Amino acid sequence: MSDRLLGALTRRRTALPLLAVVLCLPPFYLDAFWLRIGLFSMAAAIGAVGLALLSGTAGQLSLGHAFFLAVGAYGYAWFAGEPGPGLPPALAALLAVLLAGAAGGLFSPVAGRVKGIYLGIATLALVFLGHHVLLTADSITGGFNGRSVPPLTLGGFTFGADDGELTVLGVPFGAEERLWYLGLALFAFTWFTARGLLRGRPGRALAALRDSETAAAVMGVDVARHRSAAFVVSSMYAGLAGVLLALAFRRVVPDYFSLALSVDYLAMIVIGGLGSVAGAAAGAVFVTALPLLMTRYADQLPLVTAPGSAEGTVGPTEAARYLYGAAIVLVLLYAPDGLHGLARRARDRVRRRHTRTPGTEPSVPTPPQPAAAARTEEHTP
Amino acid sequence: MNDRTSAAPPVLDVRDVTVRFAGLTALDGVSFTVTPGSVHALIGPNGAGKSTCFNVLSGLCRPGSGSVTLGGAELTRLAPHRIAALGVARTFQNIVTTHGTVADNLMLGRHALSRAGFAASALRLPGARREQREHLARAREIAGLTGLGAHFDSPVALLSYGDRKRVELARALCLEPRVLLLDEPVAGMNAAERARTVEVVGEIRAELGLSVVLVEHDMGLVMRLADDVTVLDFGRPIAHGTPDEVRRDPEVLRAYLGTDAPREDAA
Repeated sequence: MSDRLLGALTRRRTALPLLAVVLCLPPFYLDAFWLRIGLFSMAAAIGAVGLALLSGTAGQLSLGHAFFLAVGAYGYAWFAGEPGPGLPPALAALLAVLLAGAAGGLFSPVAGRVKGIYLGIATLALVFLGHHVLLTADSITGGFNGRSVPPLTLGGFTFGADDGELTVLGVPFGAEERLWYLGLALFAFTWFTARGLLRGRPGRALAALRDSETAAAVMGVDVARHRSAAFVVSSMYAGLAGVLLALAFRRVVPDYFSLALSVDYLAMIVIGGLGSVAGAAAGAVFVTALPLLMTRYADQLPLVTAPGSAEGTVGPTEAARYLYGAAIVLVLLYAPDGLHGLARRARDRVRRRHTRTPGTEPSVPTPPQPAAAARTEEHTP
Repeated sequence: MNDRTSAAPPVLDVRDVTVRFAGLTALDGVSFTVTPGSVHALIGPNGAGKSTCFNVLSGLCRPGSGSVTLGGAELTRLAPHRIAALGVARTFQNIVTTHGTVADNLMLGRHALSRAGFAASALRLPGARREQREHLARAREIAGLTGLGAHFDSPVALLSYGDRKRVELARALCLEPRVLLLDEPVAGMNAAERARTVEVVGEIRAELGLSVVLVEHDMGLVMRLADDVTVLDFGRPIAHGTPDEVRRDPEVLRAYLGTDAPREDAA
């Protein structure tokens, strides 16, 4: 019985619409804290998908992802705000994404020629450069204090709180509730486009570049062009993530877009499983939600103290970092293909059992495979 | 689907190609001409420069001097992907496949023939989807032709050595090449696999009418398949001719078997 249910759940046709419905429910049941975790996770997932495309599929390391997130976030704040041209926010969001892509394009003489880990070092420069510009270009970025982000409006509807009361099915819709659906829509768009890219001609060419540059070149792949295109596309996803982050934070500050953020994104795609859209999204949720959850439940966790307590104790943020550091080590050791690989193996096992059971051996008691499948997933912290 | 195969392949002409790697002369004034539709074998002892010659033909290595022309196009100045777009496909001596399934590898071979860019693929535009479907159908056909039909959706990593070698051949064929460069297509294969590959090469040559340049150590296979043979030794061409002529050439016997006699008639 539960067997058949599991089998049905692992089928794409059933799983996707079901997932979509489930993801639409939280604003009706969860409070703003959880919604904010979800929002940050969705933004991170969009950025992580972009990085997965570059690092996982094309094999190009980038430590400059924070820079392109910053370009998206500040780009939106500037295009839509004051000081700035004060454009309609929807247009500003679009322009911010294009700006991030253009910034990636400017870097393409390097991104097209430099390979793998060397590109990682080259992009390191971008983060420091970006951080410096954010601090010093006061008139545009607001310097150390950053600047506030105007809410997004689309056809008269504001994704923010200052638009008067809105109540849907008895639930008051504030900024978080509204942004949740914007985040979902943007993430769905990212999912759709990234999977299309990966399964289409460009994705195959990029994967071939990663596996063997020589084979790709003699099969007709323009190496430099595809490397820079991968970099531009990844920058655009980062820009989109930056826009959503800016909307969720309602204020952008330079210190957020540091090297540590770039490293967080690398952690997301490693934990999730390199080169897969679903894996990048799962890794993004894990890395984003963990510190927030630990901060919230610090008083109930052993060995973790509330933020700002005496020295010599482990605060929730540090504890979260220890945990996801450990997660990376465990993933690299025991599941090099990340959460995505674990999920796929578990699904395959369920499917095999599912296709084997009907008819062939009606009287033989089936082993408790749902438990087995769950255990594989449990492996990941 | 492709009009390149309907016309006879152009002449591939190699003239005085010289390649030097830091003091070592890998190719020294090599010239030969591949007549359209023929199988031209390139043989010689290990280190004779056969693979370097292939690297020049496919654009991976730029010669110090000399020229390679295909029809009217000069290949030595072109990047590898441009040479591929002109219809020159190759396989490698040591298998170079990418991760993923046989289908993924064969579809990579269709890269130069398809058009869908980043935007069209990301938005899954109808044109891009149709193109992908059509090319997938052709790739499946080629997989059938090379005996990989049953493995079309299997990961390459799970295939046997002989099958992986055949994936490379099929991938090269997916380019709908006018000139096919085969670098030791049967090395490391067992007798049955060899026979199957020879059969396939014969079939594709008859069906698709392409020119084949072949590097191979298996002399039996060379004698059976080749119309012309060029023999290299230490980067120099030492003999040209039909398989029978080459087999009787004293210079060739010397290069392969060695001799105690001093070289009175050294070239």
